[in-house]
Parts: sequence; C-alpha cells; structure tokens
Amino acid sequence: MAKINTKFGNEISKYGAVNFRACYNCGNCTAVCSLSTEEVSFPREMVRLSAIGFEDEIKASLKPWECYYCGECSTHCPQEANPGELMMSLRRYLTSKYDWTGLSGLLYKSLPISIIAFIITLIGVLWFAGSVGYELEKMIHFGHMFEMIAIAAVGVFILMPNVARMWYYTILKPKTKVSIAKYVKSMGELFIHMFTQKRALGCDDNQFRWFEHFVLVIGYLSLLFTTVFLNWFASPYLFVIILGYVMSAIVFVVTIDFVSSRMKRNKEVSKYTQPSDLFFVIWLFLMGLTAFLVRLFIDLDILEGNKWLYLMHLIVLVQWALIIVPFGKWTHFMYRSFAMYFAKLKEK
Amino acid sequence: MEKNIDKTSYDALVIGAGIAGGEAALNLANTGYKVLLVDKELSVGGKMIMLSKVFPTLDCSACITTPKVSEISRHSNITIFTGAQASNIRKIGEKEFTARINKQPRYVHIEDCTSCQLCEEACPVSVSDQYQYGLIGRKAAFIPFSICSPKAAAIDIENCTLCGACERACPTNCIDFTMEPEIIDIKVKTVVLATGFKLFDPLDIPRYGYGKFKNVITAMQMEREIAPTRPFNTILRPKDGKVPDKIAYVLCVGSRDASVGNPICSQICCMYSIKQAQLLMGALPMADVTIYYINIRSFGKGFEEFYQQAKGMGVNFVKGKIGRITEKENGNLILRYEDINSGKLQEEEHDMVILSTGVLPNEGISELFEGDTLGLDKFNFIGQSDALAGPSRTSIDGVFVAGTASGPMDIPDSILSAGSASSEAISYLIQHS
Repeated sequence: MAKINTKFGNEISKYGAVNFRACYNCGNCTAVCSLSTEEVSFPREMVRLSAIGFEDEIKASLKPWECYYCGECSTHCPQEANPGELMMSLRRYLTSKYDWTGLSGLLYKSLPISIIAFIITLIGVLWFAGSVGYELEKMIHFGHMFEMIAIAAVGVFILMPNVARMWYYTILKPKTKVSIAKYVKSMGELFIHMFTQKRALGCDDNQFRWFEHFVLVIGYLSLLFTTVFLNWFASPYLFVIILGYVMSAIVFVVTIDFVSSRMKRNKEVSKYTQPSDLFFVIWLFLMGLTAFLVRLFIDLDILEGNKWLYLMHLIVLVQWALIIVPFGKWTHFMYRSFAMYFAKLKEK
Repeated sequence: MEKNIDKTSYDALVIGAGIAGGEAALNLANTGYKVLLVDKELSVGGKMIMLSKVFPTLDCSACITTPKVSEISRHSNITIFTGAQASNIRKIGEKEFTARINKQPRYVHIEDCTSCQLCEEACPVSVSDQYQYGLIGRKAAFIPFSICSPKAAAIDIENCTLCGACERACPTNCIDFTMEPEIIDIKVKTVVLATGFKLFDPLDIPRYGYGKFKNVITAMQMEREIAPTRPFNTILRPKDGKVPDKIAYVLCVGSRDASVGNPICSQICCMYSIKQAQLLMGALPMADVTIYYINIRSFGKGFEEFYQQAKGMGVNFVKGKIGRITEKENGNLILRYEDINSGKLQEEEHDMVILSTGVLPNEGISELFEGDTLGLDKFNFIGQSDALAGPSRTSIDGVFVAGTASGPMDIPDSILSAGSASSEAISYLIQHS
C-alpha cells in the first residue's frame, strides 16, 4: 500500500509547479486537452498523483512526455491550478530522476548552482585558451576535438544510461511485458517522433509553433553534423560552407522568436518560464549566432585579429555541451522520442 | 382612488420586487408603514414567478408567487412602480433619505388596460421574448407574460415602428404614445435593497457552444419549458422541434470557476437541476437524463433525500466537469469529459444539453448611492456589515439588504433574509422615532 506523501508538493514546486494543490478534481483539464484519449487520459491524473505524492507512479508514467503544452488546460482551469505548468514541472522532475548523476536536479532546482556551473566552465575555457597562448589554430583544433569527444562521452556516459533508467522506471519496474519483436517493430515510432515531433500537431492551433520547432530541430541537427562531421570551420568545400551558413542562420533566427516569447511571458506556455527554459533557448541562439560569425570572419579573413569571437563561440559551445545537453533541457529531445516509443510498447 | 398620502414621501423604499423585495415590502406594510416598491421590469414577481416548481417540495412556483404578488398589488400601504429605477439615494440624517425614481413610460395606461391582447394581434413587429428567455417571439406591443402583475400591455418602444396599429386596435384607448419618462424625487426613512441576482451568460464560455449550437440551452430556458405557463406545452429542443430523449445537464457553468471570474458556488444549481431532471422524467417518461457534476451539494433540509429520490427515479449522475461540447450534423451534441470515477476521458452523445448557469451579482448597485458608500463584498454582492450578528445590515445605517442581493441563496433563504431585512428596517424606524 502506497503512502501519501504531501511533502512531494514542495519538491515539485522547486521544479516550477504553481498552485496545483488548488485542484478540486473536476477533470476539465483532461476534457479540454486535445491530446488526451480514453486510453491515455491526462493531465488530471498527474495532478492527483502529485498532490498525494505517489512518486513511483509518477516515475512509471510517460504521460508528462505525452503532453506538448498547448496551455488550454491552464487557461480553462476553474481553480487556476495550472495543470499545464505542473506537467512541465514533472518533465523537469523526471529528467532529474532519470539522470544517474543527480546533477540535473541540482541545476533545475537551483539558479545559483546553474550560474556557478556556467562560471566554472567559462573559467575552464579561458584557462585552457591561456595555456595555449590564445593561438587561434590550436583553439580551433581543440574546439573540434572537444566537440567529438564531448558528443561521444556525453552520449555514452550520461544520455544512454539515463535513457536506460527511463526504460527501467517506465517499462521494467512496472512489469510491463514486451516481446523482443515488439521492441523491433515499434522502433520506427522512436525516429518518427525524434525527427518530426508530429504529436505536437495534435495540439489546438499549434501548426505554426510546431513548424518553427521542426525547422529548428532540423537546423540544429544539420548544423551539428556540418560542424562536427564535415568540419565546417576548416572545410574548403563551397557546399559545406554554405550549408553551415544556412543552418546556423536558421538556428539563431528561429530562436529569436522563442527567446522573445519566453521573455514576454504572454502565452500560457511561457507564463511560468524557468531559468532552465531560458538558458536552453538563449544558448541555442548564441550557438547559432557565434558559429555564423566565426565562419563569416574566416571567410573575410579577419578572425586572426578577432580571436575573442572564436573564444566566445568556444565558451558557449562548452557550456552547451557540458551543462545544457547532458543535464539541461536539451534532454527533452531524447526523452520525448523515447517516451513515444515506450508508449507504443505499452499499447496492447 | 383617494389615498391619504403624500405621493413623494414614504416610510420605506424597497428596490426590487422579486420574492425577497415583495416579502420585505409586505412585512413593512402589514406593520403599518408606507412602502414604495420599485422594479425595473414591467411586472413584479422577479425570477421566481417564472419558475416551474420549487425544490425540494415540488410545489408550483407560480402558485406560491401569484397570491403574494396580488397581496402586494392590493395592499393599501404599498405603492408599486414598475419599469422604474431608483438612483441618487442620499442619507441626509437618521431616518432621512432622499432618492430619485426614474420611471420609464409604458405607453399604456395600466388602469384602463383590460389585457384583451388585441394590440398584440395588431402589432406587426416580432422580436425575441425576454420573459420566455428567447425561446419564442413576442410583439412590440405585448403583455409581458400571462401571470404578470400589473396585468397590462406595454409598448417596447425600442422595437416599435410607431405604425399606430395597436392604438387603433385598442378598444379602451389606453395606448398613449405621448407618455414621457417621469422623474420623481422622494423622501423615505429607510431603504431595503432586494436587487436580486443575474444569471451567468454562457456565451462567455464559447467551448460549450451556447448561442451557436441551438440544442444547448440554459436551465432558465428549460425552466420555462416545464413551467405551467410554458410556451410550447411540451418539451422540445429548439433546433428542430424534436422531443428530446437523451438530455444532459452541465453543472457549474460560470460558478466555482475562477477562469470566468466567479470562484464561488451558486448554491442553487445542483438542486434546480435535480428538480428539473425529476420533472423531465415525469414529462418524458422514456427520456434519459444525465447530470454531469463536480460535487452534488445537497445541503438544505430535505435536499439530500431529494437527490436520492432523483437517483431512485433513474436520473444518471456522472462525476466530471464537461470540458467541451461539439455538435453533430443532426443537431445532437457530443460532450467531452473525464469520468472522475474511472479517470478516463469519455465522450457521450446527447440530443439536448442544459447549462446550469450560476448566480452573479447585479452590477451598479453601489452607484445608486450618493454621499455614503454602499460596501460590496469581494464577489461584488452587497456587503453584509456583520454577517453573523446582523446579516441584513449594510455599511449604511438604515439601508438593509434582502435576498440574493447579498449572495447566492435559494427561495426559502431569500424569504428568511427578507424577513430579517424588514425586521431590521422596522426596528430602525422605531428606534429613531
């Protein structure tokens, strides 16, 4: 018999939940949600589980990931209990529960710790740059090496174990029986959702937001590919150079809208923006912008005289790769896609 | 009629001639005080006179109201102004209030009208009938409703084309287009506010489709459909006139809902919906009636038994607030809700939906006062200066509140409240003499 844990509410509030304990269980949120179905009904169930603090049930649930936060539930909630923001907070909470290092939780819950982490990485990069005498060629070489090593290391040591933990919590621990054949057959679901986020189209009036997000994901992934595997900054090929320009431009242009809507806080989805949400979009913006300028300066042959620009790019890159990707909001890219995959596995 | 009173001086001004105002006026008049009773509508009786039956006794509402209304109308100590509004109420001393009455012309001399309805027949203008809550139409020259008081025609001048057909048809020549608005300055010794409530307008919740889907109606419209003086003489759904056989009630429409600005319970919707459900089961024995609720609040004497009786009769109760209503091509409606007992999202088809709309305060009551400020509570009902020791007292000594003007309540509570307000007013009149 599970025990009610009312303290859980305080814990989840640290992840950004507001006023969800005002819920009087009318189910209006579930009924207005366009993604909710008879088989998978939310968000009220998650509000209830949070109110009574059933952590195991919450950890076993994929529902927080099945919500794409249109905000209708919060707009129409008769108790102003903000079920939409609770779902968002649960995603942050789950991210930190999946993370075996525990760092995600620290960074989500504490702004000072996040800032310290950003400062430490900043000092680290400056120290390194100093140790190579701020030589541009060495810095660029290191930057490229760093990218490849960081991707491999973060992938192997952080992201893969964390996805495995997610699988353990949601499939293995609740004793869901899934045949090997089903794992293979449902695999398509994982990639479809990873690259299209098509479920977000089910939200009301969400076409534009989905399109922006879709373009951003494609732009980001292509930029990653261009810089890491095609070595954009050192590439002599015109096609690669132009591709890099286009992709980096897409990233910083689209993120302008994301950053400004997060700043304005005028929509249900941005009203309760947490620092972690802002870091994510601002760093994406900075990544795109600095990468674009670095290549531009290379082509104009003025980077040698403006080493600071590359140094800035390197700082943003390192902070992105060591903080935001493994422990920050970047992980939703993984968890959302795997959640759709696991949800398919759970289907009868 | 010879009346030995000064036409501009009264003991008490009672604003609102619904069941609370009527009761308060009667108590004051029976004690010997001269009362001026004003109501902005063309008839006294308020909302209660329009209702079908009352809960939990299922007594006929009109049969309780009309004797009271006729007693008020005939009382020698009560002067009634209908189509009139009070304003500029100012306290100039103990037991000394001045006020201004704005009386809109009815364009009919009430005392000459025999309510023969020949003007109605002659009038070429058809508009929506506000006394039947838009279910049917009426003419611009019209008798407000069959049991109205005073029972006399009135001209709806805003919609009138001034063709003069009614004037020519009237056998008693009681129609008079030369009538002007009257302004009467009066002096009174005490004021009783019985300004009642207004119903939530479901157009403010577009996802319920009211106004767009014809078969979504309000409970007040259903109240008219099942009242003894009902317009259709049976229960019909508006879109195609079909007799409904699967009816849904949506509770808490505009009450207990902070997203539309009214976080409090209206106290009457659960019970009037249960009452209507029982009446519908009687009127349409083959119909299914389902009530979708958040919580059933049956807190009064005999209320829980009344709720159990409805269950026993086969009324279906489903826990879950309706989130969205969509219309099918045949006019049936799909209701989307979470069945709280199973935790599952459900969709259910009904052929008629009744929105049990909540109780809201009437606006602009404090603006009627000059000098002293009439305090409102945080929900904009008239503030009770001491809700426990003197629930009828307001922030102005000598001004009392009766009925739903002070907050949502049912009919028995409104009458009790009117009793309290009139006693307080009488005590005020005696104390300061």
